[in-house]
Amino acid sequence: MEMQILRKTKWGGFKNARQMEKTQVIQIVKDSGLKGRSGSNYPTGTKWESMGPGERYLICNADEGEPGTFKDRFIIENNPQLLIEGMCIAAYAMDAHKALIYLRGEYAYLKKGLEKEIEKSNKYLRQIKLSIRIVLGAGAYICGEESAILESIEGSRPIVRKKPPYPAQAGLYGKPTCINNVETLANVPLIFSGGWDKDLLLFCLSGDLKKPGVCEFKAGTSMKEIISAASPSVEPKAVFFGAAGGCLPYRKFENLPLDDASVSENGAMLGSRALIVVGEGRSMLEISKVFAEFFVHESCGYCTPCREGNFRILELLKKIMDGSDTLCDIELLRKLAPHIRDTSYCSLGRTSTNYLIGAMKYFESDFTKLCR
Amino acid sequence: MSKLDELIKKYKGGESELISILEEIVRSEGYISFERLNSVSIKLGVPLAKLYGVATFYSFLPTEKCGKYIIRVCSSPSCHLAGSKTLLTFLKEELKIGLRGTTSDGRFTIEKTSCMGQCDKSPSMMINSKVYTNLNKKKIREILKGLR
Repeated sequence: MEMQILRKTKWGGFKNARQMEKTQVIQIVKDSGLKGRSGSNYPTGTKWESMGPGERYLICNADEGEPGTFKDRFIIENNPQLLIEGMCIAAYAMDAHKALIYLRGEYAYLKKGLEKEIEKSNKYLRQIKLSIRIVLGAGAYICGEESAILESIEGSRPIVRKKPPYPAQAGLYGKPTCINNVETLANVPLIFSGGWDKDLLLFCLSGDLKKPGVCEFKAGTSMKEIISAASPSVEPKAVFFGAAGGCLPYRKFENLPLDDASVSENGAMLGSRALIVVGEGRSMLEISKVFAEFFVHESCGYCTPCREGNFRILELLKKIMDGSDTLCDIELLRKLAPHIRDTSYCSLGRTSTNYLIGAMKYFESDFTKLCR
Repeated sequence: MSKLDELIKKYKGGESELISILEEIVRSEGYISFERLNSVSIKLGVPLAKLYGVATFYSFLPTEKCGKYIIRVCSSPSCHLAGSKTLLTFLKEELKIGLRGTTSDGRFTIEKTSCMGQCDKSPSMMINSKVYTNLNKKKIREILKGLR
C-alpha cells in the first residue's frame, strides 16, 4: 500500500484552500487535528491562529538533528512538492509573504533539488506573493529548537530564547513567525485534498535491523508490529526514542501501543518517533557512552547543569568502562542525571539524560557488573 | 573589489547573511582564519567577539587550518551499532593520523560528527558536504583513492 505521505496532490490542496477565506483555512487545519510532527504535538491550527499582526514569517524547520531521525529527509527526497504546497497553504492562511526553509548542513546535498522544486512552483508562489528561501545550517543539534533557529538566522549564537514572547508574537527580527516541521507542513495539502488520515505518522527505524527505514503506521500501533516491519537482525533488547526520548526494554514493552500518552506513562518520550533498536548482547553502558558523547558535543554551553553535568556523566561512564569505578560513582550518576533534567535551561538540557535514566532503571546490571 | 567585498555585497541585508558568508569562506578557503574573521568583523560592523562566538559554535565552520577534505565520520548511536568505530579506526590507520589530525600533505582531516540523518544507510560519513553511506572498508579505500 502506498504511504499517505507519498501521495501526489499536484497543488489540488492549495487550489482548494485558495477558494476559502484565510480564517476558514485555519479553522479546517484546527478541526483536522494536525499536530506538530517534530515531537512537540502542538496543534498546528492553533499555532497559525496565534500569529501577531504586521509582516510575518513562515519558517520550515528542516533541521532534524535528533539521532535516529531521518523522516524529513525522506519527504524532501521523495515528495518535495508536498512540502512546498504545504508551505504555500500555510503562508496563505497566515498572510505571510516571506518563507524560509532552515535546512541542516548535513542535508546540503538536498538544497539543489529543493530549489528546483521551488522554481517549479513559481506560478503558485506568485499567486500569493510568496518567496521561499533556503538557509543552510552548519551542524548544530540545538538549531532544531524553534527559537535557536531564529537566533541562527539572525547571525547570533543559537542560544534558546526565553519565552514568552513566543515566536508567533516576536520571532525572526522581532516579527511574528510561525515555525513548522517538514512532516507537519507536508501533511497540510493532504488535509485539503480529501481522504487524509490524521493518525498516520512516520516512524524512523534504525539500529540492529535488517531493513531499517521510514515506515508509516497509525499512532498506537504496538512496538512489536512496528519493529517487526524492519526485521530485527537479533532479538531486540531495548529501544531508544532518539537521544532525547529515553529508552524502554523491548521484551517488557513489546505490546505497548506507540502513542505519546502510552510511552510517556512509562517514563519515556515518543518525540519525533525515531526508534533506535538495540539488539540482545549489546551493553547499555557502551551505548550510553555514545549518547553522553553526543550531548557533551551538542550542549550549547549556556547553562551549567547541561554543560558541566553531561561532561561529568561522560567522565563517570568512561570510568565504569575502564573498570576503575566504584558503586559510589553509580550512585552519583543516579543523582546527577535527574538533576540535569530538572535544572537545565532549555529542552535540550532537560532531555539530555533521559537515555541514562532509562538505561540505568531497566538495565542496572549492565552498569554495576564492572564495578568493584 | 576583493572577493570578500563581493561576498558581503551578495548577502548584506539579507536573511542569514552571517552564516552564509562564513559558509562561503569555508567553501573557498577551507577554514575561517583569524585574519579573515577580523576583516568580516570590520566590514559588517559586527564585534569580533560575537563573530568568533558564532563561528566556533558550529561544527561545519572550522576556525583552524585543516585538510582540503574534511572527513566527518558519523558517531550517532545508529552508526555506532553498524560499526562506525571500526571504520574510524580503519580510516585513522589508512591516513596515519589521529582524530582531528591532518595528513602531512594537507589533504585529509578526520573528525567525528553528530547524527547525519542517514541512519537507515549506516555507517555513514561526509567528506566536505558530500555524503557517503552504507560504508565498509573496501568502499572507504576506493573513496580515498579517488581523492588522493
